[in-house]
Amino acid sequence: MSITLDQVTKRYQGAPVVNDVSLEIGDGEFFVLLGPSGSGKSTLLRAIAGLTGVDHGRIALHGRDVTHTAARERGVGLVFQNYALFRHMTVADNIEFALRVRRVKRAERVQRRKELLRLVALEGMDERLPAQLSGGQQQRVAVARALAHKPEVLLLDEPFGALDAKIREELRRTIRQVQRELGITTVLVTHDQEEAFALADRIGVMNLGRLLEVGRPDELYKRPATRFVATFLGAANLLLARQSKDGIHFGNHAVNARAVEGSVSGREHEVVAVLRPEEIELAPTREALTSSYLAAGTVEELVFTGALERLRVRLTNGSAEVQLAKSNGDGEYLEVTRTQHEQRAFEVQRGQHVAIGVRRIHVLPTPLSSFTACAASDAEVEHLSRQPLLVELAARMKTRVATRVEPALANGSRDCSSRSGKFVGAAVVAAQPDSLKDIECLLARGAEEVFVLPPNAPPPQRVLIHWADEAAKSATLAVSASLLRHLSAEAIYVDVMPQGTAESQRPHGMRALLDARSEAQAVHGLEMRTELRVGNVSTELVRQLGESVDPLLILGISQINGLAHRFADLLASTPRWPMLIVYREPEVQA
Amino acid sequence: MNAAVETRSAPRALRQPSVLPGFGLTFGFTTFFLSAIVLLPLAALVLMSLRLSWSEFWEVILDPRAVGSYRLSFGASLLAAGINLVFGFIIAWTLVRYEFPGKRIIDALIDMPFALPTAVSGIALTTVFAQNGWIGQYLEPFGIKVAYTWIGVTVALTLIGMPFMVRTVQPALAEVQKDLEDAAETLGAGRFHIFRRIILPTVLPAMLTGFALAFARAVGEYGSVIFISGNLPMKTEITPLLIVIKLEEFDYRGAAALGTVMLFISFIMLLAINLLQAWGRRRHTRTGR
Repeated sequence: MSITLDQVTKRYQGAPVVNDVSLEIGDGEFFVLLGPSGSGKSTLLRAIAGLTGVDHGRIALHGRDVTHTAARERGVGLVFQNYALFRHMTVADNIEFALRVRRVKRAERVQRRKELLRLVALEGMDERLPAQLSGGQQQRVAVARALAHKPEVLLLDEPFGALDAKIREELRRTIRQVQRELGITTVLVTHDQEEAFALADRIGVMNLGRLLEVGRPDELYKRPATRFVATFLGAANLLLARQSKDGIHFGNHAVNARAVEGSVSGREHEVVAVLRPEEIELAPTREALTSSYLAAGTVEELVFTGALERLRVRLTNGSAEVQLAKSNGDGEYLEVTRTQHEQRAFEVQRGQHVAIGVRRIHVLPTPLSSFTACAASDAEVEHLSRQPLLVELAARMKTRVATRVEPALANGSRDCSSRSGKFVGAAVVAAQPDSLKDIECLLARGAEEVFVLPPNAPPPQRVLIHWADEAAKSATLAVSASLLRHLSAEAIYVDVMPQGTAESQRPHGMRALLDARSEAQAVHGLEMRTELRVGNVSTELVRQLGESVDPLLILGISQINGLAHRFADLLASTPRWPMLIVYREPEVQA
Repeated sequence: MNAAVETRSAPRALRQPSVLPGFGLTFGFTTFFLSAIVLLPLAALVLMSLRLSWSEFWEVILDPRAVGSYRLSFGASLLAAGINLVFGFIIAWTLVRYEFPGKRIIDALIDMPFALPTAVSGIALTTVFAQNGWIGQYLEPFGIKVAYTWIGVTVALTLIGMPFMVRTVQPALAEVQKDLEDAAETLGAGRFHIFRRIILPTVLPAMLTGFALAFARAVGEYGSVIFISGNLPMKTEITPLLIVIKLEEFDYRGAAALGTVMLFISFIMLLAINLLQAWGRRRHTRTGR
């Protein structure tokens, strides 16, 4: 492996800007770190270059641990967005800078310089000053300069950011060519998905300091695992659907299973379906569709963009109960693109009624799809759904907050015996002295996740994860991963061994801890740190929460009975911290 | 038709687009102010000194007391500008590169010598550096006397010139992007190398300008120096003071003669600094070394 990152964390004023990133980049690979501004991608690149120290984790280049090695000894070449050429030096001196530092002989310097200038197609420009070159030429000089000392790794930080579209494409081609010719391991940072697609062998998508997904460009586009990647790589319509054994349902209407790709588990639950605009088919009637029918709609907007036609199709009210994960502004409409060929086959005008079909749906393997605020009265539900943390979470997860009046939550009544209507997403309740009863009640009535929210809780800085029962482990990890992708918080798994555990049992505890970590990493793409405590579970959790700044607890359980007893300290009084309780019944052996 | 359009649009093309009114007006103001405020008084000074005969002129300007004052005036000014070159750079560096509490206050303090009446700075410095002053009393046992010696003169001139240095170097340093240093570091350069090859060449022109300004200001300084120097003829007497003494004796022509000498030496030195700057620029653009 050329570059190995192991749980690299960099904090800035206490908040992690790079959050537990682990990554391996192979020899000669062209790797693109893609993410919006502020996602930590540039910081990560600077950490690899050695210009920024890390607070946690290790960095290795070609098997050599360089975590504490100075930048000048790492043997990397770095190219900056603003070129960073030495303006008082000629092109020749800029390129030879690294060689001069290493006291390379003149003849050799000149030869290497000529070679590099040929490589970046700037022969004969030796004696020019940077100010006499165009932006594209300056960046070529910067690339040549970064390669002069034959680095093992080439790092490029938004190298095309300051260039206009045409030059950008030209330079992109040059860089790809240079990279192939030299076979040098390259990491490029960009916020431009088109650039990432054009250059990358593999793409790593970052958001909020976390590396969300890594994969080949086509894989990530076709089969994203997270909402963020689905919407950041190209356009996507996100729909809420129910998944069951026989396929995907939008409301009562099932979509042909052949069109569905993605994880299909037996458990019936709410999922997020990704519909690419180009996978949507429009036809005059339902019968005329060649693909699986989704809904009826009205063409609201029509933009001609050359090769493609872009449309916004508003879903007809009540049609098939298709629900968007997040309504786009003023209404529920789908983004559709159509090729010239499709346009010729069926011409549409604004205001026209159409039948909408889907050729392909990708289902995201996310257990946490939306939130439902639950309280006993309309006013309370309304108030709860406006809680800043909840609104913030929903916005980041690109999902919605539904409301649900639960008479069962009213003081005194508490008729929790019957299961009533399916719960959509995580049920949210306000923290109050009786929270424990609320939790028990909602779980008994069929909720699988209950989110207890103290008033005006701040966005969490640290998320503690714990499962009380082994049966809830994998669901807890999945929910945690799903939530943490949208937070910049650090994740810490806390395991607690009972008081009086024999010393000899400790290694066993450590092993369980490491197993949990590797499962989180391998199955759910979740990087977390681990801590082992000894004592009473509830007491230890409360202590940990108390020691953390703005924490959130994710607690996995598989038994409703005895919650009061098992989590006395945690749940007996009004919960002080936001808590997400994940409940899964142990699977019955068939 | 076409020709008509062209003739009408031609003057428009010649005119430089600008926010302020035309070139003629602004150039007129420039020459007027330069003449009225700079050139005419200087010419009057030279003319006044020419009323002396050559032998009288030489006698005045080569008088040992006068020569002693030149040495102190220009020597101390050069030394002060040199001190500012080093420490002004360090102050500018600190202000540009670091964030620390009270940064704004320190930044504002830099300009104090600009605003303070120079006599006030002189009195304040004398109080501090006198034999029984806050700092002076600790230097006394080592045999270092500041007030009433050439050292005191240098201290006063350093204080007066410091803002010129800091304020010219600051913007130049701010322009040296951190990226340049980062680039040099990844290319294998050590700190000293980065400083010498990257930072220094970039800010050197600004440093020379700051040096020239600080030096020019120090040569002309009067108010602060007369309080701390003690004004001993031949020892701690600066040329401007000598001129004032001559004026008080109504020896206007003698004063003018000394003024002409100052004018001449200052002009030569500023010219030299400018040439050095131009040479430095050429050298860097040519070979980059």
